[in-house]
Amino acid sequence: MNLQFLADGLITGSLIGLGAIGVTLTYSILRFSNFAHGDLMAWGAYAALTLLGLISALVGSVAPIGVLSFGWPLILAAGLSMALVGGMALVLDWLLFARLRAKGQAIIVVMASFGASMALRSLLEFIFTSKPAYFSRAIQMAMPVGLGIRVTPDQIVLLLVTLALVVAMHLFMERSQTGREMRAYSQNPALARVVGIDVARIVRATWMIGGGLACAAGVMVGILVQIRPLMGLDMLLPMFAAAILGGIGSIPGAVLAGLIIGLSESAAVQLVGAEWRAGVAFAILMGVLLIRPTGLFGVAER
Amino acid sequence: MTAILQVRDLVAGYEPGLDIVRGCSIRADTQEIVVILGPNGAGKSSLIKAIAGLVPVTGGQVLLDGQDITATPAHLMVRRGLAFVPQTDNIFPLLTVEENLRVAGGLPPRPESAPRIDPMFALFPDLARQRRLPAGSLSGGQRQMLAVARALIVHPRVLMLDEPSAGLSPKFVEMVFARLAEIRRSGLTIVLVEQNAKAALSIGDRAYVLVEGRAAHEGPARSLWDDPVIAELYLGQRRAS
Ligand SMILES: Nc1ncnc2c1ncn2[C@@H]1O[C@H](COP(=O)(O)OP(=O)(O)OP(=O)(O)O)[C@@H](O)[C@H]1O
Ligand SMILES: [Mg+2]
Repeated sequence: MNLQFLADGLITGSLIGLGAIGVTLTYSILRFSNFAHGDLMAWGAYAALTLLGLISALVGSVAPIGVLSFGWPLILAAGLSMALVGGMALVLDWLLFARLRAKGQAIIVVMASFGASMALRSLLEFIFTSKPAYFSRAIQMAMPVGLGIRVTPDQIVLLLVTLALVVAMHLFMERSQTGREMRAYSQNPALARVVGIDVARIVRATWMIGGGLACAAGVMVGILVQIRPLMGLDMLLPMFAAAILGGIGSIPGAVLAGLIIGLSESAAVQLVGAEWRAGVAFAILMGVLLIRPTGLFGVAER
Repeated sequence: MTAILQVRDLVAGYEPGLDIVRGCSIRADTQEIVVILGPNGAGKSSLIKAIAGLVPVTGGQVLLDGQDITATPAHLMVRRGLAFVPQTDNIFPLLTVEENLRVAGGLPPRPESAPRIDPMFALFPDLARQRRLPAGSLSGGQRQMLAVARALIVHPRVLMLDEPSAGLSPKFVEMVFARLAEIRRSGLTIVLVEQNAKAALSIGDRAYVLVEGRAAHEGPARSLWDDPVIAELYLGQRRAS
């Protein structure tokens, strides 16, 4: 058996996990399934693409860093886009979700996120057309790393970046005051207010983080694969499956589950054929819901 | 004696047109323990939740040290000096004991907040031993202590407690109430809603009996316990226990 699927699965899985952090946070803190989360990814990729174009227009062409396919302009564009998409998520919340949340029916908010998802996606197709776009035209050579596995330098670096983001996120949730408040709020919103936690600030932090990480995942998919308006939609089911398999609210859970799903997907591609890829996340999702609805690290709702 | 907390003709309810608190007036003086008694459903919890900004207020006033705090957003109450310990679900079970204390709003950030934590563990040594464990693993009495500790850590001027003795063994009830009496001596004013009239009146200074959302009777805690009419009317069954 060819072990290449391990490398592919690890990389896809880490990106699924990164996106799933936002899904699991919105679910546990704002208490709804945000189906527009994938579209924040796509918007993030296009925002970075646009900013990259602007930067290149200003400073001319910049050589890539070492063996990578991209240089500092893309890193800068990605950083700015993360802030932009975080801000965009805030605007979306202010325009749409906050008003509906105040009415207290979660299902209406979920439906609204469906609508927002379609609108955001159509807007991308309208502005950028549905033709795939790329950050760079350069072709990267995959290097053999043993056991018959080949990876590109981009893949290795982005895997490390993802790892760093996940660790930073985990430390933020565990060690910072805002992280503690977010965990407290997700456990008991009413008590959070009583003890003096500013709910509005928690909601803002959740959107900024969820949007920022979605954008980071989107840019990385853009670097490793391609940029398309539908890229977020394609990631949506695996991200939800990861959030649920990991246990709602658990960041390590979401990341580990993302890896499991990524690896299962690429194993399935190799073993039974590429057309089964999308079915894997679905099968895992159904299995978890039936056998252990609280997921790997989840706790039962009180 | 000056009133630190003054509630005037408060009207509040969960839904429009359905008042639960119906023109209630109470006051608490500095360093006083005020007990609020009353039959089930009288609106005792609703009254203190309304004072804490958790139930919509449609009329009347709440003054804290002369300052109008009526309908201040709940999360700001702590910063104004009014702390509240709800009746149930008053800790975060998945946060550690120490995190439960540190999540209290209005605490200064890390280095300055550390000296606030240790006195709480000194006050409730049981909690100190379990500071790194999830609060969900605490016993009922320990949870109640944690909730009280979290309210005290922000150095409030008024502490409101909703049935801190509910579900506790007599030993714990005694212990919690002894702590409250002790805490009061440090200058705090306590408003105590209780079903356990006997225990509450034994540490209380003054008491109100709440009936249908209004303070129907008021008097020194001792005399309320001795008043046969009130005892029969509102405290009847509990007096036997
Ligand atoms: N969240 C709520 N929404 C709507 N009505 C409520 C709510 N909480 C309490 N009520 C109603 O308000 C009235 C007073 O309830 P409250 O809990 O304030 O009484 P209480 O005196 O604290 O009773 P107990 O001794 O049982 O604790 C009751 O009729 C109750 O049904
Ligand atoms: Mg009550």
